[in-house]
Parts: sequence; C-alpha cells; structure tokens
Amino acid sequence: MTPTASVTREVQVTPVPPDPSNAQGFVPWPVPFRFARGPASAGTTLPRQPQRLLRRLLRLLEGCSVFAALLVAWFIAAEYLPLGDNPLIPAPPLVLRALIDSLPELWAGTLSSFSILVPGFALATTAGIVSGLAVGSSRHLANAFLPVAKVAAPVPPTVYIPYAIAILPTFKLSAIFVVFIGAFWPVFQNAVAGAHALEQRYRDNAAILGLSGFEYRWRVVFPAALPHIFAGMAVGLGFSFILLTVAELFGANAGLGRFVQYYADFADYPRMVAGILYTGLVTWLAMSGLDFLRRRALFWHQ
Amino acid sequence: MMVQGLSLSEVEFAYDTVPILRGIELEIPGGQFVGLLGASGSGKSTLLRLIAGLQPVSKGHLRWNGERICGPSLERGVVFQDYALFPWLSVVDNIAIAVGKADPGSSKTGRRSEAIRHLKRVGLESAVGKYPSELSGGMRQRGAIARALALGSPLLLMDEPFGALDPVNRARLQDLLLEVWESAKPRKTIVFVTHDIDEALYLGDRVIILGSCPGQVIADLPVDFARHRDRRQLLESRSFHALRERVAETIAADTLQQLIAA
Repeated sequence: MTPTASVTREVQVTPVPPDPSNAQGFVPWPVPFRFARGPASAGTTLPRQPQRLLRRLLRLLEGCSVFAALLVAWFIAAEYLPLGDNPLIPAPPLVLRALIDSLPELWAGTLSSFSILVPGFALATTAGIVSGLAVGSSRHLANAFLPVAKVAAPVPPTVYIPYAIAILPTFKLSAIFVVFIGAFWPVFQNAVAGAHALEQRYRDNAAILGLSGFEYRWRVVFPAALPHIFAGMAVGLGFSFILLTVAELFGANAGLGRFVQYYADFADYPRMVAGILYTGLVTWLAMSGLDFLRRRALFWHQ
Repeated sequence: MMVQGLSLSEVEFAYDTVPILRGIELEIPGGQFVGLLGASGSGKSTLLRLIAGLQPVSKGHLRWNGERICGPSLERGVVFQDYALFPWLSVVDNIAIAVGKADPGSSKTGRRSEAIRHLKRVGLESAVGKYPSELSGGMRQRGAIARALALGSPLLLMDEPFGALDPVNRARLQDLLLEVWESAKPRKTIVFVTHDIDEALYLGDRVIILGSCPGQVIADLPVDFARHRDRRQLLESRSFHALRERVAETIAADTLQQLIAA
C-alpha cells in the first residue's frame, strides 16, 4: 500500500461553461468547473480538501436523486392523479405526521422486534460459523453433514412458523427459532465455502508453522474465511428481518410487523405506510452496521 | 551411525500417473548452502515441497539427520516466493507465532520481544506493528526470513524467495541471507530454489541442476569460491564466468533435448 502523500497539493480550477457541442457531447454538469493539475496560470486555485468535498456533494446528490424522484411521483399520485379520494395512497405529509405520532409505538415495536432478532441472529451466526468451519475443514464431517445440509437448507424457513408456534411454549421462542433457522443456513453454507476456499499458500504456511486442530481453525481458517462469512451474515440478516416480520404477522402483540398488520386491519393506511418506511429504515441501519463491522474486520482484505 | 544432513534415496513423485521426479539421489551434509537450478517444469519446487513434508513421495525415502521425513516439522522451515505472512496478522504477530512454536513455554511479552529481535536482525524494526499489505515486496520477504529464523529450524528450504523482487532489493536480501547464514553457529543447511544462475553461484556451496520430464539430477557441481564473498569481485572473476557458462550450457542442453523429444 502506498502511503498517502502528506503534502497538500493544489489544483487549478478553470471555469468551463456548459458546451453541448463539444466532441464527446460531455457537459460538466452539475459542477461548473473542470479540474486540471499544474501551475496556476489563470483562475482561482482550490486546495485538495474542497475538491474532495465537491466530489462527495456530487455523490450525495446522485444518491438522493432517485429517492427524490420517487417522493415526487408519490406526491403526484396521492394529490393530483384522478384516483378519487383514495385512502390506499396517503399523501406524504399525512404519512410523515403519522410517523411522528407513532414514534413511541414504533420504538417500542423496534425493541420488541430486536429482542427476537438479536438472540436469533447471534445464535445463528455463532452456530453457523462454528459448525461451518468444522464441516468445511474436515473431510469426515463434510461427508457426514453436507448431505443433510443439502436437503435441509433449501426448505423455506417460513414453513416452520406454524410448527414452531405449535411446539414451543411462547411466541417469542418460536419467532427466535424461526429467525435462527433463516439466518443459520446462509452463514453455515458460506462458512463451509470459506473453509473450502482456503488458499493452498495459507495451508502450507500453517503446516510449516505446525498449526493444527483448534489453533489452525482459529488462527488461519476463521480469518481467511471471514469474507465468505460476512457475505453469509448479510444474507442471513436480510432473511432474519423477513422472517421476523412474517412471524409477527402470525401471533405477536408487539413489533414492527405487528404494527403494520394492526393498522392495515383498521385501514389506517398513513400509519401502515409509516410503519413500512420505518421498518425499511431500521433494516437499512442494521445492514449498514453489519457492513461497517465487515469493513473493520476485513481491513486486510483487498 | 546417524548421518547429519539431508539424504534422498531413489525419490520419485508423480501427479496421478504423470511422473514429475524420478530417481533422485542426494546427500546434503549439515551446514551446506545448496542452490537448486533447472528449467521451468523440472520439478524444483516439487522437490522442495517433498523435503518440507508438504507432499508425500510416491516412492523412495527422504531423511533428515537420519530420521524419515513423513510430514511438515519445525525442523524444516520454508520461505516461499511471496505471501509467506498471514495478511490478517501484524508483522510482529506473524513472527510471534513462529517464536511461540519454537519455544512453547514463552510468555506473550517474551514472544513479542523475541519477534522484535528477529525483525531487527533483518532490518525490519520500523515495520513491527504494520500489516503485510502495507509493506513492499522486499520488506515482506525480510519478514518471511525473520519468521523462518524465529522458527529456529536447522534446515531452511527457500523456493525462489527473491524471484519477485527488483534487482536492487534482490541483491540486498541475498547479502542479508548470507550474513545471517554465515554468522549463525552452527550454520543452517539451506536448499535454495532459483531460476537465477548468478544467484545460485553467489550464494551456494554447491549447485544441483534438475533436468526435465521427469525431473532428475543432471549435474551436481561444487562452488568453491571462498566465503565472505565480494559480490562485484566474484561476478567479474574468470572462474565465476567459467562455472556460469557450464551451468547455463547444461540447462540449455536439457531444454533443447526436451524440445527435440517433443
């Protein structure tokens, strides 16, 4: 890795008017400058920091553009389309007010949902990593367990919900079990794949150093399989949210899925849509948290 | 009587049914520095893997100090061309693993200080807390040498360790390796695989040339230049040039024979 130069370089900024008739038909919009390195001849100079800020701003604008377009489309559909006074498409301000009014209830729902999601996902991740690495790094365990995994993993976890509710004493335990099943297989399969994909050079180095047994799995197989494991965890977390909300539709008395179902039953669509948007936001935050962890843990992986 | 050193007798190796090595007979006394040369595909690296115990032989015996080689052992350290260090561990932690293996009773702080001592020995004290991805190719190979030294193996197997380096770094690391080898008491036995004839002659006490298809020893030449060699003087000497020519001709003749056979 080349260390970043600590010297602040300066760039020359030459204002360029939009010119649709240029050779490539390129219009440098929405930043009306073109950056050129070199000695200052004309125009103002911008240090590197503002240049980076401008680039970030542009990226932010691009990232928000589709959200903005969707919001406008929603607004038009709710306010101006001749759909009559359709309660199924509540206008954005109505949903926003419903969201603000429901925040305490949604927060309580979030805590309830997370009290199912966190233990289910944590158990699934731990069990998936431990068993996946064991099976992936032992031919005998692979011969014994992979045929079972091939049959059991493709079963859609949602079909376990009625049975889990029937056999486990509380709804919470049933829901934790279903989340566990949903998240376990992706983590397990990716941990197995990660252990299988262990490069020969790492195996050789471990053998040269006399690493074997638990030490070999902990110090070599586990870190080398982490890129696969995190990919499995991301899929598992997505499944966990789906299964959690589906399970809550069945028999919960609190939680995010329950919130949406409850207000749909009363045809309170502004609250229902607010619940959907809030759930989306929570899911995105959880996925971003996992992605942050992944980047921290895999700093060495290029 | 126990024979000190490495002994290979009637060693054969085949991938499935394809023969790679045939009838390898070698005696390498302890403390000798051997350069292993040969055309690409002659099985030099395979032979090194067999000696390391990373792969079992198809036929024949390998012995180190009289004991049969059946698998990897701390007695035999290996330095590969690249990627020797684990990228998820810092340089010092990479070396500390080897220290811990060489001295299982040592404390965590003891291992760390011993690892730092080895890093200083190869001029890598500035990179103690860094990760392999933050180092240049030459620095990574210094780390690999430090790890091999930390293991304390009396036999060192090196598979083109400087093959990916630029000429300046390559020369520096060759000198470092010689300095470390010459200063150690007792001297380590080194088997050094390389494509570079100059490198093999500059470093080694002896060069072994493998012929191709299947790999077999076609020449075993002593390199009698006095130790504490001066690179420039040696490379310009007539005796060096004569030996170099001889080795190059042997390898070229083998390559030509393979082309005709094909």
